[in-house]
Amino acid sequence: MALVTIAMGRLSQTFLLLLVMSLIGFIGVHSVGNPVFNIVNIETATAEDIRRATIALGLDQPVWRQYLLFIGNVVTGNFGTSYIYHLPAFGLVMSKLPATLELACIAMLVAAPSGIALGLLAGRRNRTFLDRTILKASVFALSVPSFWLSMMLILFGAILTGWFPSGGRGSTASMLGQEWSFLTWNGLWHLILPALALAIPNIALIARLARSGTIEVEQLDFTRFCRAKGLSPHRILFRHTLPNISVPIVTIIGLQFGGMLAFAVVVESIFAWPGVGKLLIDSIQLLDRPVVMATLTFISVAFVALNALVDLFYAVLDPRVRLSA
Amino acid sequence: MTPETTHAPLLRVNNLSLRYLSASGPVTILHDVSFELGRGEILGIIGESGAGKSTLGNAIIDLLAPEFQRATGTIEFGGKAIDAADGKGSGGIRGRRISAIFQDHTASLDPLMSVGAQVEETVLATNSSLSKLQARTRTLELLARVGIPEPHKRHRNYPHQFSGGQRQRVVIAIALAGSPDIIVADEPTSALDATVQKQVLALLRNLVDETNISIVLVTHDMGVISEIADRVVVMRNGQIVEQDVTSTILDAPQNEYTRGLLAAVPRLRTSRTVSEREISKTSTTPFAERDREPPILVAKGVSKTFFAPGLQWGRLSGEAGFALQDVNIQIPRGAITGIVGESGSGKTTIGRIIAGLDTARAGWVKIGESDFDVSRNGRRTGLLGRVQMIFQDPAVSLNPRTTVGETLRESIRFGVSPVSGEEPPDMGAMMDRLGLARSLAGRHPHQLSGGQKQRVAIARALLARPQIVIADEPTSALDVSVQAEIVQLLKESVTERNISMIFISHDLALVQDLCSTIYIFRDGRVEDFGPSDFIFSHSQNPYTRSLIDARPRRFTH
Repeated sequence: MALVTIAMGRLSQTFLLLLVMSLIGFIGVHSVGNPVFNIVNIETATAEDIRRATIALGLDQPVWRQYLLFIGNVVTGNFGTSYIYHLPAFGLVMSKLPATLELACIAMLVAAPSGIALGLLAGRRNRTFLDRTILKASVFALSVPSFWLSMMLILFGAILTGWFPSGGRGSTASMLGQEWSFLTWNGLWHLILPALALAIPNIALIARLARSGTIEVEQLDFTRFCRAKGLSPHRILFRHTLPNISVPIVTIIGLQFGGMLAFAVVVESIFAWPGVGKLLIDSIQLLDRPVVMATLTFISVAFVALNALVDLFYAVLDPRVRLSA
Repeated sequence: MTPETTHAPLLRVNNLSLRYLSASGPVTILHDVSFELGRGEILGIIGESGAGKSTLGNAIIDLLAPEFQRATGTIEFGGKAIDAADGKGSGGIRGRRISAIFQDHTASLDPLMSVGAQVEETVLATNSSLSKLQARTRTLELLARVGIPEPHKRHRNYPHQFSGGQRQRVVIAIALAGSPDIIVADEPTSALDATVQKQVLALLRNLVDETNISIVLVTHDMGVISEIADRVVVMRNGQIVEQDVTSTILDAPQNEYTRGLLAAVPRLRTSRTVSEREISKTSTTPFAERDREPPILVAKGVSKTFFAPGLQWGRLSGEAGFALQDVNIQIPRGAITGIVGESGSGKTTIGRIIAGLDTARAGWVKIGESDFDVSRNGRRTGLLGRVQMIFQDPAVSLNPRTTVGETLRESIRFGVSPVSGEEPPDMGAMMDRLGLARSLAGRHPHQLSGGQKQRVAIARALLARPQIVIADEPTSALDVSVQAEIVQLLKESVTERNISMIFISHDLALVQDLCSTIYIFRDGRVEDFGPSDFIFSHSQNPYTRSLIDARPRRFTH
């Protein structure tokens, strides 16, 4: 019963969020400039052409009416047609999704385990050479700009050694009606460098969190008690310390994953990876409002869903959340 | 039960000296400590903070931090030396032959694992030959043995679903899981309420009598020692000052320090010293005397609810219960009023509400002629300042970044300003009065001892010129010998300055000495109240009686 109430609360919050987000996005795009000039050929178009295009796109209406129209369409599931590609906007976003999704998933599948492992190791060996090395490396990995990191990866991983391709998705295979790179060897090969570029800062972030958590938890009485009762250090680390440090780690994994879905634009651009982030930036530049709005809506929903998953994980992990006394 | 002297002792500590390698050079923590522990014996190790008693306990279970270094001496278990120096020699001993119980039952258990699983993993870690099923059976046996009701159901529960006493029972079950010969119990009952403490001590005594296990009981509490220890080692500054059979230590201590420790334990008087005539007077009209002079503070209908831990999303977790339920109290002018209760009774909450540090759901507080609505939307301007607080732990109630002088001057500046013609409060005079050297004004809290810190906290409260001071367990974090001095200072402050005090405590004996009126709180309600002598000698309230009975008999007259 409680779960239904929670879900309803969440859902209403989501709608409010989407409404506010759409308003900001709509006004933002509107105030940047007139998309008509990106659509008609400015060199040849006559004033009449521009007027007709404006009417055809509905841009002659006052902005509040445009917004209401947009909301009305969205309610029926229609985000409008891209000004540039002349395709349904939401379908366009969805067509870019597999590329982004597989990139973000693989990056996180690399980052989470290695970050946690490094963090546990550093926390256990607190104040040793290993700990200091991991800490320093993490500062470096976090402060390096991602375009530089991507270019270094291309330089060393592709140009100098020739081990990996420097960009593109490679060959894809079809699954669930979408094209996926990770299903073919060639595609997987293309995934590695961009995934690493996304993963490295996250490894550092997760490792730092895991390290400080480990140090904190291993000073608590129950880990001392675990040692007193004769458990092996290995068992204490994985059965007691790890669950107890995982709440902040999972939170950050959720947030970072959402960020990768939406804002991996630098990495996607450098590796010519046709993902959602790149679509968003391109659409903003071209003032392709339907696509911008569809992308923003998708990103908001993705963040809300990820947060709900993270909260669900808290409840699974922590009996104090799940069960009252 | 007397130790079997015919056998070799189970544990023998010979001339043990330990050093702590601190940043500023090695510090001697234990100096030439020797004692023996027989089978089936409870050996109490008592001392004040810094005596080295916990370090000694950790040395026996081999849980010392690497900064500790053994200078001399050996610890022998069953005739063989435990080599604590390299930390690996005890591999087969820790958990199996020697296990431990810590003070804080909440912190001792992993909050994310069911208690059954925590017992079970210990059973498996200490008996590798057992199957999963056998381990489960043994787990249920252990939980039943320590008195957890319905173990076959409750083993699936998590630590937060148990009460404090039950959690400590689970900890004891874990300590028993490897069928050890020795349990090192470091303050095993200090975090428990008096009535629960009594039951847990009885359980430990019972285990010793039945299974012939031995217990090293590290404590600061003479009461605990008097209840269950067979022999006592008294420690001070890392040295043993005296060791003997418990009755000898209690009745005929040889050492000056031991005598001081015993004298400092507050004693409860329950003998009926008040004449019958006086009783009838006080019992029918407990507040008759005060009707002549109006009370300084009246709290009316104070209620507070608390929220259940649980799903914190949105606001649906809901109010789970009452922290305070329609509490009415009157604080007489110029006297000390005691509020006594066990943990969760609401005694601290009512103090915080009266001080304006917390809001109630509903209720009024009247100080002198002014009424204050203490509910969330009430205005408490003017309440703050008139009521000052002294908290339990001075180590955390003083700002670590300001000096003593800054703290006290702040109190003068923001306290109640003196009426014209009145002397403004003088920091130096106050420090002299409370036994603080004036040179301490430039120090930071971490440079002071516990007793000095609490004196600063008292000075801070008094310098604000309050009408009422609320002291919330002001001596619980202090050593017994310091406790007595602080209590004396509080008493004198009340009479000298004509202020009123609310003294919140769990310790009946302390309250009896200090307070003229006592309120006994239970589950957020006033369970019993009346003049101090009446409460202790004549109260018929069963809960009050059970609190009095839970006191160690040795220190009740």
